[in-house]
Amino acid sequence: MRVLALEGEDEFFAALETRYLVRLPVLLADGSRALGTPGSAPLALAGGALPAKPTSAFFPHSGPLFSAGPEGVLLPPAPPKPLFVAGFTPRDLDCLRFIDRFFADGMLDDVYFRLRKGAVIAAVSGYCGAGGALLAPAGGGCDLEFVRDADRWLVVPYSEVGAALCSGLPDTAPDEALQRLKREGAALPDEDRTIIREASRLLREDLVPDSFWAEIGDRCIACTGCNLACPTCTCFGVQDWRYGQEVERGRMWDSCQLSGFMREASGHNPLGSEALRTRRRIHHKLAADVTRWGEISCFLCGRCDAVCPTGIGMLAVAGEMVERFGKS
Amino acid sequence: MKRTLTVCPYCGTGCMFYLVSDGGRLIGVEPSSTHPVSRGSLCVKGWNAFAFVHHPDRLTTPLMRRGGELVPASWDEALATVVERLKEVQRRHGADAVMFASSAKATNEENYLLMKLARAAFGTNNVDHCARLCHSSTVFGLGEAFGSGAMSNSIDCVDRAGLILVIGSNTTEQHPLIGSRILAAARRGTRLIVADNRRIRLSRHADLHLRHKNGSDVALLSAMMQVIIAEGLEDRAFIEQRTENFPELAAAVAPWTPERAAAVTGLEAADIVAAARLFAGVKPAMIVYSMGITQHSHGVDNVRCCAALAMLTGNLGRPGAGVNPLRGQNNVQGGCDMGALPDVFSGYQRVADPALRGKFAAAWGVAELPESPGLPLTRAMDAAAAESLKGMFVMGENPMLSDPDQAHARHALENLEFLAVQDIFLTETAALADVVLPAACYAEKDGTFTNTERRVQRVRKAVEPPGEARADWEIICALAEQAGYPGMRYPGPAEVMDEIASLTPSYGGIAYDRLDPHGLQWPCPDRSHPGTPVLHLERFTRGPGRFVPVAYRPSAESPDAEFPFVLTTGRTYFHWHTGTMTRRSHLLDREEATAFVELNPQDAAALGVRDGEPVSVASRRGQITVRARVTEMVVPGVLFIPFHFAEGAANALTNNALDPESSIPEFKVCAVKIGRAS
Repeated sequence: MRVLALEGEDEFFAALETRYLVRLPVLLADGSRALGTPGSAPLALAGGALPAKPTSAFFPHSGPLFSAGPEGVLLPPAPPKPLFVAGFTPRDLDCLRFIDRFFADGMLDDVYFRLRKGAVIAAVSGYCGAGGALLAPAGGGCDLEFVRDADRWLVVPYSEVGAALCSGLPDTAPDEALQRLKREGAALPDEDRTIIREASRLLREDLVPDSFWAEIGDRCIACTGCNLACPTCTCFGVQDWRYGQEVERGRMWDSCQLSGFMREASGHNPLGSEALRTRRRIHHKLAADVTRWGEISCFLCGRCDAVCPTGIGMLAVAGEMVERFGKS
Repeated sequence: MKRTLTVCPYCGTGCMFYLVSDGGRLIGVEPSSTHPVSRGSLCVKGWNAFAFVHHPDRLTTPLMRRGGELVPASWDEALATVVERLKEVQRRHGADAVMFASSAKATNEENYLLMKLARAAFGTNNVDHCARLCHSSTVFGLGEAFGSGAMSNSIDCVDRAGLILVIGSNTTEQHPLIGSRILAAARRGTRLIVADNRRIRLSRHADLHLRHKNGSDVALLSAMMQVIIAEGLEDRAFIEQRTENFPELAAAVAPWTPERAAAVTGLEAADIVAAARLFAGVKPAMIVYSMGITQHSHGVDNVRCCAALAMLTGNLGRPGAGVNPLRGQNNVQGGCDMGALPDVFSGYQRVADPALRGKFAAAWGVAELPESPGLPLTRAMDAAAAESLKGMFVMGENPMLSDPDQAHARHALENLEFLAVQDIFLTETAALADVVLPAACYAEKDGTFTNTERRVQRVRKAVEPPGEARADWEIICALAEQAGYPGMRYPGPAEVMDEIASLTPSYGGIAYDRLDPHGLQWPCPDRSHPGTPVLHLERFTRGPGRFVPVAYRPSAESPDAEFPFVLTTGRTYFHWHTGTMTRRSHLLDREEATAFVELNPQDAAALGVRDGEPVSVASRRGQITVRARVTEMVVPGVLFIPFHFAEGAANALTNNALDPESSIPEFKVCAVKIGRAS
């Protein structure tokens, strides 16, 4: 285990730029945090989950798939250097693991893996949540983890690449700090997980009536923010743009809250109401994925709840479900 | 990878987001987490606001008509032609034979510059923009009542209101981040009255949903006021201390008993009484309205009633209350503020006032400025049709789809001796032009937009414009130079704003170095002023608030045996106006890909029309074929068609009946017939 002083952050990450395209949390001009590049804005590793999903480094909001013209088919160029992406919270790591598996299963998504392959993943945890709250250390699932302890980061490598990258930092051993943070993290209450599991059970046992979804659907303005903010939402739409003799095919994040997402060519829509679409979105994460992948695919990152303008993000809806239909 | 903080180009809510770009191309949008309006959220159009920017249809070079075809031309040639031809029209037919249409989509700086170009370089007050089509009734009606035609309160007042009356606004679809706040407030217990005969989302959360007949707002609001006065529920202290002309109002509404209004509105008298008691019984109460109030041949009267109802109950000059017209376009408030209007300079300073004309003439370095107010946009189209207007310069507007009575609009535009259009795509209007100038879109230039709550916010360049396209402000300045007017040389938009601030009292304290991160709300008279969230706190801008009595006038065209349905028009959630941007945004276009008409199931059954079937809708002015959308959203006898679709243009049907005071067209009511398409 290594240690990085807060005043050493800039230098440490800037030095990585010779070998990597570095993406890490920065503080933007209006106080928003986002994945940025070293030197573009002040670093903001602390502050909790980034508002936008860090998986967008590999699966951006929109991007090219290929272009076709007289010269034949051209794939977008591979990045000149592998990515180094910092800022995943432990819950974000669960999301990344989930979509890595999803994009790799069956037909490999080469566009995703063009960016994902060889990328270094750095997590943040410890006392670096919103308002200094404690995020329980992940203990793995990434190349290296930056665990905030008071005025320093404990840097814990989990892969050879991670170990090499932090090898220049001072060694802290023996130091009990990480063990203490792990103990404190393990002791954190996890009511959200209890709620989401109970909501999942209610759905799988078909204990939530249609009238509930009608109520929730009435509050959906179809902004699509829940899907676009969700790190485990991977649906995308495809479009072709013709520039002269060249056709450019690209993809962009899609949303199952849109009517067009499931509308059939005939015009019939098996999910023709906000109620059905909202039910489907939540059912997918809490019930269908349990059957398909063996786990609930909401890892409680909180982004959909933060981005929803009418208060029907996953945790809010799960909470209402449990309150109204759960065991009293 | 770069993030650029800017303002959404769609509605007047004024959400800010970051445009994410990589290698000179936009790749996405991220909401601003800290913005006071959007608060980390966006609507579907905001999330997709990057999607049209690099579309292959973008105009990349000037075009000139040669042999009947629009063909690429050089900037020098195009600019010279525009100026020569407009000047030639003026030489032959007079200075007021040309019209300048400014744009509520363009920045404040660009609107200011276009009105300056019209007045200082071309010597005409014939300058206007699409505010004529949306809130000219508001500017007139609230100006008369309060002295200021803008939203009296701020968006965050929704969170403080005890009651919200939403009338003629489908807020969750048209101002989604305001609508969602209203929805959230209603769930917290804020009382909600929705007066709109479409079953809009907010109506499902309302304490009371009044589905009054189209065009009967004056009757409804007059009767509510009659009940309030008859039952002694008015705010006597406010009326006495803050207003004038109350006896005249009381006399005008006295005959409007709930029973009489019931006969006109189609409501139950008891519902009108309930609405009046509910509205008067909760403070603070906020009125929110939009096109359902303004787009009538009696739009100004509707606005006067809203103003009177708020004053009657003491709901002005306090947080959580007010009269709140939601401005439609991203910068329609700014377009008005900048004087892209035929009768005022920036800051609503009247051109008829010699002292103000002198102030602007001195600042602009011209001997004199034209005195008589120019033509409103709608009257200009009439003048072109009548061949008294001969030349037109259109920046970022598409009257071929947005103006009433499309055949009339086409006739007017085709009648012109010269038409120049400056836009980002080859719109239906640009396709008729003699010269087309390619412009940068919002993501490719700097400037400011002013949102519906009077918040002046920075728009920032994220990527380069395509090909040879230039920012509107650069093109306007080049036209001034070409016209031999040397008074429009600026290093950039910041210096234009400095000039605006020096000449416009309400913008006196606006400067780029003060607008980070989330802007300032006008009035902001000097550089130390923090901006003004709530207007009329101690006194109205004009002094006392003025009650203006109105008489009910029915809509210009009523259903009859031949045209038995009422047609009302508007927008859908997924598209913006004439669709130039949203119909080129993949997900938005996929969501609403075809023109449609909303038709009540009862009517559909009577007509033998199935959902999704093509139907013919015709008025006295035109006929279109669209797909039937059979839905309880509309009441029997009423049809709704959005105006986004060129191939099923609602405005082929609408009535060019204008409000006598504001010249706004009656988009919300005309008579049509409908049947299965043969």
